[in-house]
Amino acid sequence: MAYLTLSNISKQFADTYAVQDFSLDIDKGEFVSFLGPSGCGKTTTLRMVAGFEIPTSGKITLDGADITNKAPNQRHVGMVFQSYALFPNMTVSQNIGFGLRVRKASEAEIKERVKEMVSLVNLEKHADKYPFQLSGGQQQRVSLARALAIRPNVLLLDEPLSALDAKIRVSLRAEIRSIQKRLGITAIFVTHDQEEALSISDRIVVMYDGNVEQVGTPFDIYNFPRTPFVANFVGSLNTAAAEVIDPEKGLLNMDGVQLVSAAKMDGLRKGDKVRIAIRPERFSFASDGKKANVLDCQIENITFLGSVVRVHILIGKTKFTMDTFNYPSLALPQIGDKNQVTCSKEAVLILGEAAS
Amino acid sequence: MWSWFWFILGALYFILPLYATLEFSLQMKRDQISLLAYQKAFEDPQFIKTFTYSNVLALATILAGIVLFVPTAYWIRLRLPEARRLTEFITFLPFVVPAIILVFGLIRIYSTPVKIPFTDIELFQPLTTTHFGTNVLIVAGYMVLAMPYMYRSVDIGMRTVDVRTLTEAAQSLGANWFTIITRVILPNIRASLLSGALLTFAIVVGEVTLASFLGVNAFGPYLFLLGQHLAYQPAALSFVTFLLTWMAMGLIQLFTGGQGQAAGAH
Repeated sequence: MAYLTLSNISKQFADTYAVQDFSLDIDKGEFVSFLGPSGCGKTTTLRMVAGFEIPTSGKITLDGADITNKAPNQRHVGMVFQSYALFPNMTVSQNIGFGLRVRKASEAEIKERVKEMVSLVNLEKHADKYPFQLSGGQQQRVSLARALAIRPNVLLLDEPLSALDAKIRVSLRAEIRSIQKRLGITAIFVTHDQEEALSISDRIVVMYDGNVEQVGTPFDIYNFPRTPFVANFVGSLNTAAAEVIDPEKGLLNMDGVQLVSAAKMDGLRKGDKVRIAIRPERFSFASDGKKANVLDCQIENITFLGSVVRVHILIGKTKFTMDTFNYPSLALPQIGDKNQVTCSKEAVLILGEAAS
Repeated sequence: MWSWFWFILGALYFILPLYATLEFSLQMKRDQISLLAYQKAFEDPQFIKTFTYSNVLALATILAGIVLFVPTAYWIRLRLPEARRLTEFITFLPFVVPAIILVFGLIRIYSTPVKIPFTDIELFQPLTTTHFGTNVLIVAGYMVLAMPYMYRSVDIGMRTVDVRTLTEAAQSLGANWFTIITRVILPNIRASLLSGALLTFAIVVGEVTLASFLGVNAFGPYLFLLGQHLAYQPAALSFVTFLLTWMAMGLIQLFTGGQGQAAGAH
C-alpha cells in the first residue's frame, strides 16, 4: 500500500481548475518531482498535501489516515520554500529548533537535534548567525534543516533552488538528494527545471494545465514521452510531420525522405499523417557508423555549447538539430557541406496524429 | 547648497518656537534666568496626577491598539487582501473627522444604556456614568485617533516581511495561530510596532478635546487650563512635552533608522 495517496484531487479557484482529477501513489522513501511550466498546478498540488489549500474534491491519505481536511500544523509535514521563509528574528539554531519548541520537546532534545541538523547541512560555523548574515544557499540549507528537524512524515520542497545561482543549485540539489536518501524520507519536489527533476527524482510527474501528462522514472520520461507536451517540455526535440507508408514495418515518409521507426503504430494505416520526434543527441554522423536510418543532409550552422556541439541540419526540407559531444579530435563539417546523419529506428518517436 | 538652505530653514521653523518657549519659561524670576517655572510646575500635585493618568491611558491605548490592529492587519494581509482598500480608507477617517465629532458621538451613544438594536434588551449601563466606563470610552476614542498611525505602522511592518510565507512555514512546523502571531509575526514587526506605539503615546499625552468633553483629569486639559491662568509654568510644561515627543521620535529613529525591517527585528 502506498504511503501517500492523492486520489482524484481537484482544486478550483473561481471558474478555473488549477488541478484536475490528480491521482498519485507515492511509496515511503520515494523522491517524486512535480515538473511543469508556470501555472500547471504543481505548486497547488503540493500546497494541498501541505494543507495550505483544501481540495475542491478528492482525497489525500498519509500512512492510511485521511488528511484531506486536516490543518497544516497537524499534518507533520515539513516544507521548504522558494523564498527560504526563515524567521528573521531567530538565529540558525533557533530557526531549526522552532518546530521542536512548538512541539514542547525538552531542551536537551532540542539541543541535540539542532546540533545534528546543523551538522547534516554543514553549517556548524553559522549556527549563531541570523538569516540575513547568510548567503542564499546557506539560508536554503537552514530551511531544509528546519523542515527535517521535526522528522516529518513527508518533506515538501517548493522550487527550493529557483532563487539560487546555477552552481549552488547543482551542488545543493545533490545535497538534498543525498540527505533524503540517507534519512529515507518521502519527498515531493516541485520544479519547472527539467534538468533538476531528471537528476534527483525516483519518479517524475509531468503536469500541464492542471492535468497529469505522464508519470514515470526520469529515464522513461525522457526516452519514452507519451504526449507531445512531455516530449517537447522535457529535453530538446526535433519534430516533423510524416506520412505512414507501412505501419507493420514502421515505414514513414517525411517530405520525400524515408524513415523507419520502432514506435508502435497500432490503429495507424497507410497514408495517415503523424507527428514524429527525434531527440538531437540521437543523431550521429553516418561516417561514425550507420544505423537503421541514414539521411542526406546539409549543414546549416554549428553552435558550441561547451561539452556539446549543436549542429543545425536540413534533411529534405525540414530543419533539425543534432547534438554531439565536444571532444578535441572531433572533426566537424563546414557550414554548407553535404553530409549524412544516422539514427536508430528506436530514436524515431511518434507523438500522435499530425494536424492536417 | 540648496539642500542645506532648506534644511536650515526647516530646522529653524521647528527650533525657533521651541527656543522662544524655553527662553520664556526660564524668565519667571525678573531679570534672572532660573528654573523656577519648572520647579513650580513639577511641585503641583495636579501635574503628577494628570501626567501619570495620561501615561496610563497612553499605555492602555497602545496595548489595546496592538491587540486590535495587529491581528486585523495580519488577517487582512493573509486572508482578506481585497479588504485592504476599505481598511485604508477607514484608517484615514480620523484625519478628516474632527475629534469633537467623535467625542459627541461617543457621549451620545454611551450616556444612555446600550441596548441590542431593535430590542429593549440592555447590554450594559451608560459608560459615561462610571469612572471605569469613562476610561474605557476614552481609551476607545484614543484608539480611533491613533488608528492612522498605529494601523499603518503595523501594516507597513507586515509589508516588509513576507507574512504569508512565514505563517505557512510556522504552520508546517506545527505552530498554532497564537504562536505564529506572538513568536513569528510580532517580533518581526517590532520596529514598526514601536513607531506606532510612540506616536500613539505622543498623541494621547497631549490630547485635549476627548479628555475635556469626557471630563477626565488628564494632562492635556490640565495644560490647557494652566495656560489660561498662568504664564511661565505652561511654557515650561510645553517645553517638557516637546522634549518628550522629540525623545519618542529619537527612539523611533534609533530602532528603525537606516535598517531594514528584518535587520531591525534582531
